Amino acid sequence: MGVNIIAFGQLAEIIGHRPVISQEIADTDELVAKLHTLYPFLSDIPYRIAVDKEIISQKTPLTNQSQIALLPPYSGG
Amino acid sequence: MSERKIKNIFTQGPIRSEFIGESIQKHSHQTGIGAHSIFLGQVRSDKIENKKVSAIEYSSYEDMALEKMHEIREGIFEKYPLTCLHVHHSLGKVAAGEISLFVFASSPHRKAAIDACAEIVEKIKAELPVWGKEIFEDETHQWKVND
Repeated sequence: MGVNIIAFGQLAEIIGHRPVISQEIADTDELVAKLHTLYPFLSDIPYRIAVDKEIISQKTPLTNQSQIALLPPYSGG
Repeated sequence: MSERKIKNIFTQGPIRSEFIGESIQKHSHQTGIGAHSIFLGQVRSDKIENKKVSAIEYSSYEDMALEKMHEIREGIFEKYPLTCLHVHHSLGKVAAGEISLFVFASSPHRKAAIDACAEIVEKIKAELPVWGKEIFEDETHQWKVND
């Protein structure tokens, strides 16, 4: 079991719309560390993380049911 | 809690001017309305380092965007005495000169309609998970960033 990630905008273009991490991830700090190991350039791109459609501002626990989204700055309208 | 349901705001491709006209027409029976305020976002052909933007391709995290839009609408209805409020946003490719955002606020008097319309446009730009890819005439692209 891994975690369920969707990437959007410029991030989807670089790492794919559904990047795969096939291991258990306990929380969002661990997720960020793992993502930055897999994709070192992520540290240069601004993005926010949503867990179950809510943007998180602190370490948040994850389960394998969590819907994780990587959101670059918005540019709608 | 409000009774209002989560509405879809997304349309594939540009928002047609006929649709905008029909939307106005549909409100003619709502005679309590005294003012409509409409905002139309048009794809601008920016020139960046001698390359011209020919279209913007929009994508969204739709589930989250619709929930967020619902929250924004609820907040606007609490703040302003509106009769109704409609929002339509394009997904997919919209050519320069075409409409990608249509916000339509109606109320008995002009001030609420104008203020609500202006506020909702700002919130859409800042809070909706939507992304625009600017496509240049030579098929290269860059990711748009809202001011």
